[in-house]
Amino acid sequence: MPPVAGIGLRAPHLAEITRDRPATGFLEIHAENYLAGSPALLTVERLRADYTFSIHAVGLSLGSADGLDEAHLARVASLVERLQPAHVSDHLSWSVTGGRYLSDLLPLPYTEEALEVVVSNVGRLQEALGRRVLVENPSCYLAFTHSTLSEPEFLSELVRRSGCGLLLDANNLHVTAHNLRLDPGDWLASLPGEAIGEYHLAGHATNDADGRPILIDDHGSRVSDDVWRLFADVVRRFGPRPTLIEWDTDIPPLSVLLEEAARVAHAS
Amino acid sequence: MSLTLRELQAAFAAHIVADDRPELIAAVAGDSIPAAARLRVYRHHVFHSLGVALAATFPTVQAVVGEAFFAAMARGFVVATLPVQPVLAEYGAEFPAFIDAHAPARGLPYLGDVARLDWALNIAFHTSLAGRLGAADLAGIAVEQLPSMVLALAPGTVLVRSAYPIDRIWAAAQPGASGDAVDLAAGSVGLLVLRRPDDAGFVALGEGEAAFVAAMAQGQTLEVAAGAAFGADASFDMAGAFARLLGIGALAAMQQ
Repeated sequence: MPPVAGIGLRAPHLAEITRDRPATGFLEIHAENYLAGSPALLTVERLRADYTFSIHAVGLSLGSADGLDEAHLARVASLVERLQPAHVSDHLSWSVTGGRYLSDLLPLPYTEEALEVVVSNVGRLQEALGRRVLVENPSCYLAFTHSTLSEPEFLSELVRRSGCGLLLDANNLHVTAHNLRLDPGDWLASLPGEAIGEYHLAGHATNDADGRPILIDDHGSRVSDDVWRLFADVVRRFGPRPTLIEWDTDIPPLSVLLEEAARVAHAS
Repeated sequence: MSLTLRELQAAFAAHIVADDRPELIAAVAGDSIPAAARLRVYRHHVFHSLGVALAATFPTVQAVVGEAFFAAMARGFVVATLPVQPVLAEYGAEFPAFIDAHAPARGLPYLGDVARLDWALNIAFHTSLAGRLGAADLAGIAVEQLPSMVLALAPGTVLVRSAYPIDRIWAAAQPGASGDAVDLAAGSVGLLVLRRPDDAGFVALGEGEAAFVAAMAQGQTLEVAAGAAFGADASFDMAGAFARLLGIGALAAMQQ
């Protein structure tokens, strides 16, 4: 895919996009929203004639010590087979333990043990899909004391051992760096830029945690100025990539998403 | 000794849905923001996202009880029953039974059935329109064959019965409804929930029709189903009921 700007396809916009076919570089869907026999899948199939798609999963739980849920993996593989997206991605996080799904992108300790788990799970995913996937840096609200690797070191090793690519979410990096007191410049300096296949941008909120501000990745507003500045740094370092505007809560009119996407080309 | 990854993930899940786990808190770096406060961000998000998913699947229940009551009830359900897989449109099958047993909802004895209707509508919505029996499919079948035939309900077609007028409760909960009170003494209903071209919906069945559909859903022959229908309503109109079910696409195409 060329380094274009795209938007997340969300249910409230489906009818308008189907009717007006607005110009945008690509559309990204959440895999888990299209696995239950949703009639929206038929609409997406028709839109494939006019749009490039990417599939972003949130539930594969690549960091689960239990391994991947094979039944869910088979459903995702079937969707990928059907839609033939340009990219498939999920997160460096976990959501499933003991057969229960916690519906959040939960943090991993960055240890050799966790690295082996994620390498194995990403390998299984790539084998099942028959393609390379992209793994996204998560928004973190905590770090584990027994971590032995930094997040970019962990991602670098994951890329080296599994052959996966990376999805760099500039908003997540901003949120994590603030919450964990990291320097985003140092973080980026340790990342293998050539492995990056896609960028994400989104809005975040600021909450109170026992009297201290904590940034929350809620995908519920415009991309902040801080994140645009960080994104400009990212593009200067690594070059342009397909870039997605994500918006999942308090979803605005479609025109707002398209405006945000139009800013991407001028970001650096 | 630090926790293994499996131990850490089990402790994390337990911490989120139950009580604080000291060994997990001890494993979290708590510098400027205490570890417990950092973990609360995740706990909040898990309950929030699952509560939002349940509200999307059970909109009538939420409209009846209001957002705050619903959120508290959803929280109790999440603690008792986490999803077993990540497709949230498929989460909540056990919610109606949970509501039946939920003490704060005891004053709303119809609420569990309202949830059953919401769940059936959710299932129907996520079902393909394909595979429905049409009148033309029956053209080659001799009349005398009909009694011994077994016809299945179309995928996603479900009979929801209640001692309460949950169809009126559903209508009163829709945006723009009149706001008139629903008379709970209006009596029992049998609602056939099904996929329609653009959405999911339901039709109210008479007592005979409901007995007919219930027997078909159990795999009975048309003859046995008709017997059940006449037992429930001596004035049951067999031809009319059959035509109606066909017309709304409630029957599955026959296996070749």
